[in-house]
Parts: sequence; C-alpha cells; structure tokens
Amino acid sequence: MKTARENNPMDQEDDAELLAAYRAGDGESLGKLVEKYKRPLFGFILRFSEGREEADEIFQEVWVRAIKNMNRYHHKNLLSWLFRIAHNLMIDRMRRSKPMLSLDTPMNTEGSPLGEQLAAVCLGPDGEAGGRELGLRIEAAAAQLPAEQREVFWLRMQADLSFKEIAKIQKCSINTALARMQYAVSKLRKELAGEYRELQKAGI
Amino acid sequence: MKTKKLEKWLLLEQSGELSPRQLRRLNRELSDSEEARVLRSELRRLKGVLLTPDIEPSPWTVSQIAARLRVENRPDMALIRILKPVLALAACLALMLGIGNFHGERASSASPGVVASAGVDVWDDPIGEDLNNLENLIVAISGDSNDVMEM
Repeated sequence: MKTARENNPMDQEDDAELLAAYRAGDGESLGKLVEKYKRPLFGFILRFSEGREEADEIFQEVWVRAIKNMNRYHHKNLLSWLFRIAHNLMIDRMRRSKPMLSLDTPMNTEGSPLGEQLAAVCLGPDGEAGGRELGLRIEAAAAQLPAEQREVFWLRMQADLSFKEIAKIQKCSINTALARMQYAVSKLRKELAGEYRELQKAGI
Repeated sequence: MKTKKLEKWLLLEQSGELSPRQLRRLNRELSDSEEARVLRSELRRLKGVLLTPDIEPSPWTVSQIAARLRVENRPDMALIRILKPVLALAACLALMLGIGNFHGERASSASPGVVASAGVDVWDDPIGEDLNNLENLIVAISGDSNDVMEM
C-alpha cells in the first residue's frame, strides 16, 4: 500500500545522496534539492501564511531545520518530512497568536485576494478552458473549511501525499485523516454542485 | 457498499493505499454501480483541476538558506549554543548575588539609629556631583556666568 512516489526508491536514494553530498561540502546539492521540491512545498506554505514574505521565511526555516536534523531522516519520503516540518512551524506561528489569513483577504503587494492569485496559477492545462472559474470556487469553498480539513485536502490533492503520510503530519489516525478529507470533498460537492456537474459533462 | 465506505475506498484507491484484495472488491463495485463510477470520476476531475501552483519562493532563497546554515554551523555558534544554559545560570546567580548584596549593604549602612540621629537622609549622589563639575567647566570655558540651560 504505497503511493507512486513512495514506490520510487530511486527518488529516495537521490535525496539521501544529495543530502549526504551537501553534508560533505557540496553546496550545489542543496540547490538541487530545493529546486526539486520548491513548488509543492512553497505552494502549501503560501496557502497557510500571510503572504509571500512570510511564506519565504517559513520555506527557508523548513530547509534549515531539515538540514540541521538530517540524522532523523531515514531514507524515507523527504517531501513528506518537509511538509511535517512546515506543518509544525506553522502551528507554532499560529500559537504565537498570529491570525491566519483567509484566502479572501487582499494581499498587500498585489492587491488581489490570495485565493484568486493561487487559483489563477494552480489550474492544470485541462482546466484552463473552463476550469478557471471552478478553480476559484474550489479555492473559495476550501478556504471555508476548518484548518485541519483544509490541510488534508491540499496535502492530498496538490502535494499528492498518501493518507498515511498525512496522518503522520497531523499526528492522527489514517481514519481521521480520511474522515477529514471526506468532509472536505462533501462540502465542495455541495458548494459546487451545479457548476461541477456541468464541467463533468463537458469533460473538463 | 455504503456510500461513505465507497468514498473512503475511492480516496484510498486514488492515493494508492488499497490492498489488492480491497482493490478487487472495489473494481467489482465499480462495474456494478453507476454511483461508484460517478464518484470516482468526480474525484479524478477534482484532482485534475488542481495542479501544483507555479508560484515559487524568491530566487535568492537557496543562497539565503545556505548562508543561514553556514552561520549556524560556525564553531563559535556551536559553542555558544552549548554554553547557553550555563551562561543563563551564571547570569541568574550573579543577579541573585547582586540583589542579596544590595539588601545586605542597605541594612548595614542605614541602621534606624543612625538615620534618626542624623535627622537628614544621607545620600551620596556621584552623578549629581559630576553634573555640577561639568556645568562649572562649561561656564569656565564660555567665560561668563550665564546659566548654561538658558543658552
């Protein structure tokens, strides 16, 4: 019962080798690793932070902590481990009473709501024709979910983590992670009912 | 199969976490039930529409991470990290000793009898004295006796 990514031992070996090379003094290895995982990790962090600046800070902190605690990485899924560090960092920040931004909150720099900015860039080629509106609505509906369900939703749908990995990150059982996902999907189904069926018919 | 269970199995199928036996059972369900097929197609569409964002961290992120790691790995930083609790303890002890000394000195130098007999509060004010000296010096340099505060 492994995901495609978990099943790829080459990937894990590469990561372990790159980490070891960085430790041995090869500075370029760090760049390769960051490059490899920057999009899913940064996209996830950005969803739960107050804009690009904070997301950049957290992103850097995740890598610094990961490298510093490399001895705890046992050739398993590096991305899942990075997500776990990011999750813990963001929980820490939330506890320090920083209110989380809603996806409807306008960002300072670009002015348009974060949800719109993300939706504008997260649609796949399939969705470009008719899916932009759907993407926006999914973002908006997902933004209304409780943080734990929202996190499961994005970790599964975008970061492609398995429920086993998500359960580890959220420190809960696989069943709990699954239940959170089911709740999120059922809420989206309710919110997007008409439009989603239309798009299904259109094959988008 | 009930809808809730079916949904759960479809989610697990999508993430590749169903056992071969469960997968066989799900496939039977999919061939028999229109509802199962609709649910699976819905989940696939949902995942297809949401791909990883193209948003990236700032271009100088890697160099910043490397710089931070270099600082963290400096031997003197490592020494400071190790010594931190010891230094904190020493600072606490020094503070406690200082407070103890201060109270001890006040108790011994200002006994009630002495204060009562003197009738005035004896207060040695070195800062005030220094300020007076400084004022005198400024007056001497400027060559008149005007109050320097009025200048």
